[in-house]
Parts: sequence; C-alpha cells; structure tokens
Amino acid sequence: MANFFPRSSNWLPLKVLVCVIVLGTTVTVGVGYYFTPKYTRVGYQPIQPIPFPHDVHVKQLGMDCRYCHSFVEVAAHSNVPNTQVCMNCHSQVQKGNPKLQPLYDSWQTGKPIEWVQIHKTPDFVFFNHSVHVNRGVSCVSCHGKINEMPVVYHHESHSMSWCLDCHRAPENALRPTEQVFNLDWQPPAGKTQMDIGLQLKHDWKVQPPVESCAGCHR
Amino acid sequence: MKKIFQHPPEPVNGKKYWQSLDQLADTPEFRQKLEREFPAGADELNSSDVSRRSFIKLMGASTALAGLSLGACRRPEKHLVPFTKSAEWSIPGKPLFYATSMPHRRGAQPLVVTTHDGRPTKIEGNPYHPSSGGATGTFAQSSLLDMYDPDRSRFFRNRGQESDEKAFDAYLTKLTAGLGSGDGLAFLLEENNSPTRERLRQEIAKKYPQALWAVYEPLGADASAEAHSKAFGDGVKVTAKLENADVILALDTDFLGCEEGSVEGIKAFSARRRVNSPEDKMNRLYVVENRYTVTGGMADHRMRLPVSQIGAFVVALADKIGIDAALSGQVKTLLGSAKAAVKFDERWLDEMAKDLVASKGKSIVIVGARQPAAVQLLVAAINGALGSFDKTLVGSASDEKPALSIGELAAQIQNKKVTTLFILGGNPVYNAPADLDWATLQKSVPSVIRLGLHEDETSNRVLWHVPAAHFLETWSDGFATDGSYVSVQPMILPLFGGWSELDILAKLLGMPKSQGPELVQDTFRVMANGADFNTAWNKFLHDGFLKDSALKPRDLTFNGTAAAAFLEQNTSNQSLEGAFEIVFTGDSKMDDGRYANNGWLQELPDPITKLTWDNAALVSVATAASLGMDVKKHLGTQDFDTLEIAIDERKIEIPVLIAPGHADNSITIPLGYGRGFEGRIAKGAGVNAYPLRTTGKPYFAVIKKENVKRTGNLHRLAITQDHHVMEGRALVREATMETYKETPDFAKKMWMDAEIQRKPNGDGNNVSLYNHPPLDALNQWGMAIDLNTCTGCNACVIACQSENNIPIVGKEQVVNGRSMHWIRNDRYFASTDENDPDPEMVMQPMMCQQCENAPCETVCPVNATVHSTDGLNVMAYNRCIGTRYCANNCPFKVRRFNFFDYQQRPLDKLKLGPLTEKGSPDTLKMQKNPNVTVRMRGVMEKCTFCVQRIQEARIATKVKAGASDDVSIKVDSFQVACQQACPAEAIVFGDIANADSKVSKLKAQNKNYRLLEYLNVNTRVSYLARLRNPNPAMPDAAKPGAFEKDLIHAEEEKHGAAIINTTGGEA
Repeated sequence: MANFFPRSSNWLPLKVLVCVIVLGTTVTVGVGYYFTPKYTRVGYQPIQPIPFPHDVHVKQLGMDCRYCHSFVEVAAHSNVPNTQVCMNCHSQVQKGNPKLQPLYDSWQTGKPIEWVQIHKTPDFVFFNHSVHVNRGVSCVSCHGKINEMPVVYHHESHSMSWCLDCHRAPENALRPTEQVFNLDWQPPAGKTQMDIGLQLKHDWKVQPPVESCAGCHR
Repeated sequence: MKKIFQHPPEPVNGKKYWQSLDQLADTPEFRQKLEREFPAGADELNSSDVSRRSFIKLMGASTALAGLSLGACRRPEKHLVPFTKSAEWSIPGKPLFYATSMPHRRGAQPLVVTTHDGRPTKIEGNPYHPSSGGATGTFAQSSLLDMYDPDRSRFFRNRGQESDEKAFDAYLTKLTAGLGSGDGLAFLLEENNSPTRERLRQEIAKKYPQALWAVYEPLGADASAEAHSKAFGDGVKVTAKLENADVILALDTDFLGCEEGSVEGIKAFSARRRVNSPEDKMNRLYVVENRYTVTGGMADHRMRLPVSQIGAFVVALADKIGIDAALSGQVKTLLGSAKAAVKFDERWLDEMAKDLVASKGKSIVIVGARQPAAVQLLVAAINGALGSFDKTLVGSASDEKPALSIGELAAQIQNKKVTTLFILGGNPVYNAPADLDWATLQKSVPSVIRLGLHEDETSNRVLWHVPAAHFLETWSDGFATDGSYVSVQPMILPLFGGWSELDILAKLLGMPKSQGPELVQDTFRVMANGADFNTAWNKFLHDGFLKDSALKPRDLTFNGTAAAAFLEQNTSNQSLEGAFEIVFTGDSKMDDGRYANNGWLQELPDPITKLTWDNAALVSVATAASLGMDVKKHLGTQDFDTLEIAIDERKIEIPVLIAPGHADNSITIPLGYGRGFEGRIAKGAGVNAYPLRTTGKPYFAVIKKENVKRTGNLHRLAITQDHHVMEGRALVREATMETYKETPDFAKKMWMDAEIQRKPNGDGNNVSLYNHPPLDALNQWGMAIDLNTCTGCNACVIACQSENNIPIVGKEQVVNGRSMHWIRNDRYFASTDENDPDPEMVMQPMMCQQCENAPCETVCPVNATVHSTDGLNVMAYNRCIGTRYCANNCPFKVRRFNFFDYQQRPLDKLKLGPLTEKGSPDTLKMQKNPNVTVRMRGVMEKCTFCVQRIQEARIATKVKAGASDDVSIKVDSFQVACQQACPAEAIVFGDIANADSKVSKLKAQNKNYRLLEYLNVNTRVSYLARLRNPNPAMPDAAKPGAFEKDLIHAEEEKHGAAIINTTGGEA
C-alpha cells in the first residue's frame, strides 16, 4: 500500500497543537484584557455639552461636592445639578462665555441640558450613594480625583470584582465622615489608612454585604 | 447502602384535604400531572406556532447575524437629564407618598400612593384612617394598573371622529347657553358619595330645575336602602359593628370577600378571630349561602341553601326568635307557605337561633344586598329582637339625596322627554337591565355626551365621547364607609388629557374648567367649618381625611307598622321543584365588569374556583348530574361543558364548573365578563351574563329546568388549582377550640411533627449534610401567617404583583401552568366522606418559605440562588441561566420561571419570540417599581421577602447611624407588601432575632408550626394553625373536629419510624 500522506505530515499534529495553544492564549489574554471593564470603561471621557471643569470649581474655587450634587447624602442617586443651580452663579459669573451658551439656552427654553453619562451601573445593580458617603467612603474611592479633572473621565473599573474587593476589605477605604468630601485627604502623620480603616470598621460595625447578593441585586 | 426517603403515608381514616374533584377521585391523569415539576406542557414548546426544529434554525441564523454586527459593538451613549428648575419636594430616586382615596359605590377607600419621580407606582391603605388602618383590597391595589391601561380612551370624539378638548369646550359653552330651565336635560351617573358632586348637583338643580338626575349601579344596594328606610325612617345609614359581635349569622353575603366594604369587614371580623392563647375567646360565624364564598370558608357552621330560599329561612328564623309584634302575625302566615315550599334542616336553625338569642346584644344577623327588600326588612326586625341596635348594629344620620333609577330614566327617554343625556362614567349599554334595551334607547336620544375611561360599548354612536380622568388624576372628595370626609387628589396630570365628571358639571354651571382643587376647596370650606382655611386644607391633604368628621351616631328605632305594610306586598317563596334558580353575582375580580381590561385582575385566580381569564356557571355535583353531565368525565380536563341558559328569549352560552359546596338546583353566574370592547386584556375573556338580567330580578331568577340545556360544546378554562396539591403532608393544620384547650400544642403533635419531637437525643431535628454560611447578620427575617384570620381575599397576591413587577402571562400560559404569582392562596376543601356535598374549606397563602436548608440552593449549578447572612434565600437574576433545577427541587413549588419574555412581548405572540415586536407600552413601564429588576425570559424568580424594602430599611438605618454603631434596624419599622395590604393582619413579617418583634411573639405561640418540618428544611415562614369554634349543640358540630384527635394522638402507630427508612435495597 502506498503512503498516502507525505512524511512531513507527521509533524502536522504538533503544528496544529502549537497553533491552537498560541491562538488560545492570545484569545484568552485578549479577551481578558480588552473585554473587561478595566479596558472598556477606564478612561472613558465623552464630549460634554459644556466642558465643565471640576478642577476650577473645586480645586480653585473651593466648592463643596454637595453644592451641586445636593442629594448625594440622602438618595441612592447622586443628582446632576439642574440648570437653576448653575444659574445661581452663572447669571453673574462668566456671563458672556460662549462655552456656557447651552446653559443659557436651557434656561431660556426650559429644555434641560443633556449631559453624557459616564458612570453607569447595569440595570440589575442597585447602588446607593447615601449609604456609602454617610459611612465614611469618600467620592475619591470610586470616582478618582475628580477635583483635579478638567473634564471628568471614568477612573475606576466599576466591575463587580472591584466592588467586592472593597466590600471584603472596607478598611482600605474608610475615613472619618467629615473627610468624605475632602478628596485630597491623607491619613494624619504616623497613621496608615489601614490603622484608621480597621478602627472605624470596628467602631461603626461596618459589615457591607459580600455573599448576600441581595445587597446589590434585587 | 442507599437511603430511601419515604414521605409519611396519608392517614387512612380522618379528614382528607383536597383541592379539586380530580384529586379527590385520584384519577391516573391527575397522578401523572402531579408528579411533574411543572404541569404538562409547561416546559415544552408543544404548539404548532414554532416547532423545536425551526426554533433551532432561527437561533442559528440570529447567532450568525450577531457575529456580523459585532463590529458595531460600541458603548451606547446615555444622557443624564436634570430638570431646568428644581421641583418642590422632588429628590431624584426617592419616592414621595400622597394620601388620597378611591371613590367607590357606598364609600371611598382611603389610600396612600407611592410616587417615584411623579409616577404613581404603588397603592397602600392609609394607616392613619381608622377604617383602613393601612389595609387595602384587590380592587384598590389594582386600580393603579387601570390608570396606566394603554387601551384607555385618548381622544375626544365627536360622532366618532377625532376631535379635541377645545371643540368640546366650545360645544358645552354653546349648549349651556341654550339649556333654559333644563328641559330635556338628563344625567346618568355612577354611585359616588362625593359632597362636591352633590353640591354641583344642587346647583344644577337650581339652575336647571327640569333636569333629570339618575344614578345606576349594576351591583347596587337598592333593596337594602329601601328596607332600611321602611324600617328606620329616611336618612339613616345602618352599619354592622362586627367587632362587637360574639355570634354572627351571615345570610347570602360575602362580607369577607369581594363585596363592598370588605376591607373594613375583614378588619372588624378578624379582630374577634385572633386567638393568642387557649384562654382567649373567639367569635362564631354561621353562614347560609348558595355557593362557597370566602365568607363561607371562614364559617364555623355553614348551610347551603339556594338564594331564592333564603327568604324562607329568614321567615322561619323570625318566627323562632319572635320579632316585633306588628309583624309576628304576618310571619306566621308566611311561615306556612315557606314551609310548604322549602326544606332545610330545622334543627340547624333551632340551635343556631338559640345561640343567637343566648348572646343577646352581642349577636348580629347580616344579609346580602342581593336579597329582596322584604327579607332585608325581616332581618332588621330580627336584629331588633336580638337587641343588636346601637351595639352590633349602629345607625348614623345620612343626607344622601334620592335619585332616579335607570328604569325611571328609561321611561322618560321612551316618552321623548330627554334630548340631551350626559352619561358620566358607568357603561349602561353593557350592564343595564336587559329588558330596558338600553342600546336602542340611547340611540333615540338626539345628543348623548359620554364620559368614559374606555371607548367601549356605550361610546358607540354618541354625539361626544370624552376621555375620563382616572381617580388618581383628579381632584375630588368623598366619604369613607365610616362617614369621614376624605380627599381625592391627583398623583399625576391626566395621562390622556381626560376630564372628570366634576369638570363637566362645573362647565354646565358656567364655570371655566378648573385647573386645580378649586371645586373641592369650595366644598371643604363648608366641611371644615370656620377653621383657618390654609392650615386645615393642608392638613386635610396630608392626612387624607378630615379628623372627627365620621358620621354622628343616631338611635335606631324599628318602625313595625311601616314594615308590616311593606311586608304585605313583597314576599314570596318559591319551590325549586322542576326549576333552577340563576344567581347573578358580582365577580371577585371584575366587579361589575369595570376592571375587565385589568391584567392583574383577569389573571388573579378566583379565591374559590381558582379560575382565571373567564367566568363559568357554578353548579353542585348533583345539579351537574341532573343536567346530564358525566361528572367523572369532567375530571382531569381543561375543556369544560357549556350550558345554554335562556330567560325570556334571551340566551347565553357559558362553560359550567362543578363547585363543591354549591347548593343544588342553583346556578351561579358571575357578571362582568364578555365585554364587547376591544381591549387587549378584556377581549375574549368570559361570557356576558347581563342579557339574562332584568329590572325585576336583578340578582336571581327562577326558571324552568327546560331553559337550561347542555350544548355539547367544550370550552377551555384556565384554572390554577391543580397545579399545586398537598398530598397528605399536613400543610394545613386545624382544630376546634375545644381541642385547642385540651392540647394547646396540637399543631406540633400532628402528623410527622409528633415524630420529630419524640426523638430521644433531645434536639429532635435531622442533621444537615451541608455547610451553610453563618446566619450572623444583626437582623434575621422571618414571617408568621395566621390561618385563623386569613380569609383568602387575594389582596396580598395583587399587592405582591404590583410591588415586585410580576408580569401577567395570558390565558394559554395559565392553562400550561406558567402563572407567575409569587404568592398564591391555596384553597383546600376538607371532608371525611368523599361524597359529602358539604365539604369544609381552608385557605393557605403560600410563598417562598425561605428555608434555611434550602433544597433549591444546593442544586443551582451557577450559584444564582444563595443564602444571605440575614436568612434570606436570595435570587440573583443576572446570574440565573434558567436550568430550572431549583424549581424541580423546591418542595413548595413556589419558584416561577419566565418561559417567555412576558414583560416585552404581546401576550398573544409570545411564542414568536424575536420575530414579533418588542417592548411594552410606555404607560405600563411607568407603573414598574424602579427598585425591583424587571426580569427577562429564561430567568427564575420567586418571593424575595420584598428584599428591596429590607435593603431600603437597612440603608436608611445605616445612613442615620453615620459615624456610630447603631446599625440594627428598628423593630417592626417596615412592612413587606403582602403584610401591608392584608386587612386581617394575618401576615406578619419581622425580625425573628428580636424577641420584641410581632413575628417573634407569634412564632412563640404554641399553635405555630412549620411546613415539612420533618424534612429539616428549616423554613423561616411559619403558620399559626386554624381554629374553628363550632357550637356543640349543632347537628353538624362533629364535622369540624372529626378525627383530629386521632391525628394528634395516634401518631405513634401510624408514622412510627417513617422519617427515614434505611434499606439496602437499591444500593
């Protein structure tokens, strides 16, 4: 019986195997990197109708987060300020600035400004701002140093494992409640975040839901 | 060695609990159906619409297409849209609560409505109002969906052509100018006790003295009003005070069920039914009725009697008790003819009468509004003889003004006296008495102006159809059943630009259409009587009612002579020899038909028959046999025989259902179905029985047997009762008061539970094989349900549905056993002899039992259902892949699977899946509770103990705690939806880790028991056993307690070592 296959074909299984391994690894690594929130979300910085500079308002002018995000301590949502709140100052300040034109248009027409949403939790996640900020979790833990951003971008991944990292070890984020809105806060000299976090976790009986799915999914 | 688990066998003798006649007969088909995880067909695509093969093809194609479109996979851009100006009180994402009330005939129901961002999403009772106490009924709960009904009328129509508000306004202005003294002007309205409407009526009477004012309610109480005015004089409203009654006789009245004022009825009744220890006393309820009602189920003694013979029963009772001297002569005469025509157990009546008399002043006889005025009058006389006046039956002054009846209005129309007719609400073409032929009459009136929520039967061929505003969209007012003045305020602007009846009346008086509460404020000024207006008005809106405005009591004096004169002309007793009586009842879900397009109500199983999406004529087994139906053939089927029933040439064809406990020769037909209007829900549901109803015989008619025929046709009915049965596992436990006194912990000694406690090592329970995460949260949630007060009224089912975004699935899916209710009311009949036509009935609300050793959790391959540290069996929808293993392993069958995309697809095209249009109507989306995920196809769901409310309470506590450790939720500080709605306060939820909570106290009672305790599932829900309070002298006294002592004491022989039977057999 003649040899149907040439001798070189003896290597074929090995070649196929190598290809499969290389391809498999590439796909796995690729998906693991590119398809995760770490890649898809972090850095997302859409163009807003008005390029609102948080750095000017907070860092330079020293405004408190809660002047605009006024219900963050009482509601699940941290509200975006309405036109009226902007107009409190901008009816006087920077009056002729063309960048503010959408604001004046909104005020005149009564049509709201459509801000592009950056941080979005899926529909099946019920995140509550009030319980976090009232119990010593600062804005900076989830949003990064907003006070230094000329235009806001997505700073953290907001993936479920990222949430759980903190829920399993809240000591990494806890700080005294009066420092929650101070985004530049550092632990006082001689103490680490861990020292303070563990102390607060114990004193306040901090027990965020971990295995209890219903804490976030209802 | 393999352990073979054997459930305990059902005891050989003793009471049997059964849900349907199929089960009682134990047919092989029934067995087969029972042993499936879901009923046959539930887990199959077995219809011809889409075969499995073509489904796979489609799936393949869509996957391939999905690959092509991957390139367009971009993050979608979403916008945040704040207001331009701040809205008062509004905090994005936080609900607001407003007090209002639901106008209804014979009294408004005080409510508190939850609104999310301006959308009303949930209705609760007003906890501050004494007659509501926070409870609601099914109608109030589901009225929310009525407001969001996408089929509501959206346009003003002039002779059927689309018009607008302006044109109608101009028409009214022109009309008003030419009305003169109101000659030819007539109004037809629904019953409503709004004082503002009354005020406008007076003004209209002043401005247009010739105008006619008629009121029509198909389920009105004209007879009792007539009888009361004869007995007590005009202007008296009579109310039963059941909370003061030790002994109650209910005649043909479902005062605990769907009838008017049932929330108050259940509240008062259950107050005397709550037993915490063997020393407590409870009331005793006798019921005489023709069909099983919720009230009959609560009875300690029940007699089946045709509705047309209840008059004879009352005559005999009046004779026995000895009533007002002016009447006694007539009673004697009546008794002669009654006895000749009607047969019933005399001893039953004797002993019951003795019991009533023995508790003089603490007993009461109540009678359904459906009985003729003469019967109502005799009952009033009996109550007088029992000394109930001003104790269990109180009068109050009422200034309700008489109006024309629809019959009188029809006569005026016939005489061409009416040229302009305003039909404000109601639906006379559908529900007016058939002998009036209202459709033709209405056509003969030159201008008819019709205000209606829907463009329905009555809107045909009218001059103007005006879209009505729902009560949640309007300003109005009213009186609650206790007579207190309540507010009706809008939660939202009219969705479809509707008008209210007050708007139209005001317009006719020449006022501009009001944009706010002006009309009601004018009335309130008089009501508040000089108080500082702004303060009083704001308080009125905030509280929902005016304090201390309840009607002032008025002494009741029975006017014997007037009564005697009336009785002379109005009693008759009929024998049912060779005849059937046809009984018309309001439906427990559709009422008089007004809720026909409400999906929640259409799919709600009737409390007794468990029928959905249809009505059926109910008959007893004996009557079915006499109609030539093969009862055995009837079993195990979904297709039911139909009957043709004819009264005076008018015929209907209606499916027939055999109802245990129904009186013989009596046929009950619920009204409210078969609507002739093309609503997406109402269309095709049930049969319209109004064509059989006439002015003279509104509630029952006796007809010859020949007029009822079997047609030989079959009709498919969607009945949920067989989907879940008990199989002798003692899910329901009950005993008589006597047994309870002897053995206070009887519930724990019944059936298998006795076995558990007799284990020698003391702890008694089986050992779990699994390691569970610790239950170490500060609060541990649990629930106790008191079967002794639960009537099975279904308020909890709808409350749950509206709180938890539960979809409706349509008739076909219910037939397949796929209904989605998270809580169901299991109804069991109980009898010792399977041929007993008089079974007892018990109700049991059943939802996820939140097992600590949950069988569902251990089989989930993806950990979508796990246990939380506070003892909840939680369900992560986004993780569920729909294997349905959990449902298979659930011993209580309380898990529900989304076989189709019920929330997104039209119900009649579910099977087409992606091939049909997607998305639900916007208005239905507005109703959804934003705190609960709307589940999609392929996801398992079940009762979560309203976890969104638990989390809300927990978050609120933590927010308040701030930088402190005060993080335990305050005891009993919130309620779950079913508990909040329950008028009997039978469902109690709370923290079982806290001994002070209500639920802990209930669970500590000795009649507390848990289901399937011998399986060691460790449920967090427990039940308090049902008690019955039979009168030992009654002929049927032995029935309730039959064999229960056997059950308690004979455990040892029967179930000895039956828990786990270890054999080497199949290893």
